[in-house]
Amino acid sequence: MSTIKELIAQFREVADNPKKAMDDYKKETGKGAVGIMPVYCPEEIVHAAGYLPMGMWGAQKKNISKARSFLPPFACSVMQSVMELQLDGVYDELDAVIFSVPCDTLKCMSQKWKGKAPQIVFTHPQNRKMAMSAANVFAREEYAILKQKLEDILDVRISVKALKNSIAVYNENRAACREFSDLVAENPGLISLKDRHAVIKARWFMEKSRHTAMLKELNDLIRSADKVPFSGKRVVVSGILLEPDEVLDIFEEFGFAIVADDLAQETRNFRQDVPEDADPLMALAKAWTAFDGCSLATDADKPKGDILINAVKKYNADAVIVCMMKFCDPEEFDYPILLQQFAAAGVKNLQIEIDQETTSFEQVRTRLQTFSEVL
Amino acid sequence: MGESVKTIYTLGIDIGSSSSKAVILRDGSDVVSQAVIQVGTGTSGPARVLEKVFEGQKIGMDDIAYTVATGYGRFSVKEADKQISEISCHAKGIYHKHPRARTIIDIGGQDAKAIRLNDNGNIAQFVMNDKCAAGTGRFLDVMSRVLEIPLPEMGEVHFHATEWAFVSSTCTVFAESEVISLLSQGVSRENIVAGVHQSVASKACSLVYRVGMTEDIVMCGGVARNKGAVDAIEKELGKHVIVVDSPQLTGALGAAIFAYEATVKPE
Ligand code: SF4
Repeated sequence: MSTIKELIAQFREVADNPKKAMDDYKKETGKGAVGIMPVYCPEEIVHAAGYLPMGMWGAQKKNISKARSFLPPFACSVMQSVMELQLDGVYDELDAVIFSVPCDTLKCMSQKWKGKAPQIVFTHPQNRKMAMSAANVFAREEYAILKQKLEDILDVRISVKALKNSIAVYNENRAACREFSDLVAENPGLISLKDRHAVIKARWFMEKSRHTAMLKELNDLIRSADKVPFSGKRVVVSGILLEPDEVLDIFEEFGFAIVADDLAQETRNFRQDVPEDADPLMALAKAWTAFDGCSLATDADKPKGDILINAVKKYNADAVIVCMMKFCDPEEFDYPILLQQFAAAGVKNLQIEIDQETTSFEQVRTRLQTFSEVL
Repeated sequence: MGESVKTIYTLGIDIGSSSSKAVILRDGSDVVSQAVIQVGTGTSGPARVLEKVFEGQKIGMDDIAYTVATGYGRFSVKEADKQISEISCHAKGIYHKHPRARTIIDIGGQDAKAIRLNDNGNIAQFVMNDKCAAGTGRFLDVMSRVLEIPLPEMGEVHFHATEWAFVSSTCTVFAESEVISLLSQGVSRENIVAGVHQSVASKACSLVYRVGMTEDIVMCGGVARNKGAVDAIEKELGKHVIVVDSPQLTGALGAAIFAYEATVKPE
């Protein structure tokens, strides 16, 4: 039986070397990989085809140069990075790339794909709450078209049975991820923030049942581990993603533990399961219309504040730290609403700015240190 | 009983991005000595400010009971017993000098901050500038170079403006080219200076609006020495802004007070 350290090293190996993870998968299965642009793709369809869905979340500390010819300087940092990687040919070994377009940046990015792999673009309906049954039908149709295009490109047929099975595999993985996050919150000194991130990030580059099996093993070990004394502050983090690792180190330097996250790269993917439905494409569609708490999924009731405030209560957290992706307009637009909701509920909060390209962290350090002094 | 109470000296050092400051405090309240050197982290500034603050004093580093470093370069001060963020230190220093302060505007070399204090002088909320040096001391440096007006004279020149030019506040680089084009259109340098200060003010005040504005509003940091910038901020807020004396030194003062607190009530 592996130790916590050994298991985490395996997750980290995957999270840090997605290319190797993909090559290994290809070797083992004889099948290929399909790129998944952020965010909220019904990955189960790719899984049901037997292909490896690969998350495309940019790279930490990547110098941006060529991408500047294609993107305005004020495009978000993660898309600058993805564009640079496209131009470097990093995504050329993918068999297809799936783009969702829930924000303006993604919509424009989808129109200037520079990789060699064929691209499939689909739309999430945004009338999710006010016209839910129509939105369900629309989303189902989009997913059906996506599935058809994928079948044509990969030359495979995706059966209803395979899709149902993939949904079950993903739901099991979601449950294991939720449990992992909760176990880490119960013993915050045990797993470093970088390790927590690596374990969750690895799910973007691993066949999900494999990720689940390893994660369940890890969860068992964490459950039976001794409590590590922890005297720092417990925080809930929100945003698109929380990278690079140096930022997580600064969180730890000032004694912050992440007891729950609301990140588009992490918990937002496993907070809710895909519901049961005789028609698996409709089940996936319903998952989108039921989904809550992301600026990219329109909901006039703005439930994100409540989700975060409830997480603060549930996990006995001291505060919320909003990790604002630089130039991410949907999240920036929602931020003033969040601030009002925090103020009304008396929830302490801080905003830091996330820039995947940056190598200087002094501002983040000052903000986090001050916040630790204030809390 | 009968023992003479020993005097406690503490030191606060604030190493910023463009200046180094130090304050020696006696018993947590009396300033014994203070010094500023106009270069900051990574330069000779930190060593020189330490030399300067002890110059002519009967005490030396060995007499200092506790040292707190703050500012951008706080982690490189090897003499420090502890590092505390400059936001906490400025808040501490300002509240000490001006207990009625509730909103603080601190504009330094490359950061601008707004801090809201509660009635006990504790920080209730703070925000910092994002993304760009627009609205900071660095921005004024760049503009002073383009306008060929020495930085210390910018404040005075401001009051000779007949009409404030418009200079945007989003980006230092764009603003620089705007200023160059205003110059080439023959707009007077006085009017441009006022426009530059207005640009700094709108950026700084956007931070104040975010933390919420409660009087007294107090300003510190290097830019507070620029009367033109303060005037523009007052006009933007429609409120009186109090500039503390030695506005560059409030961070070092706060650090020295924290140092004193650490000696009398160790954690
Ligand atoms: S949601 Fe934000 S971070 Fe994601 S692509 Fe759109 S702008 Fe960028």
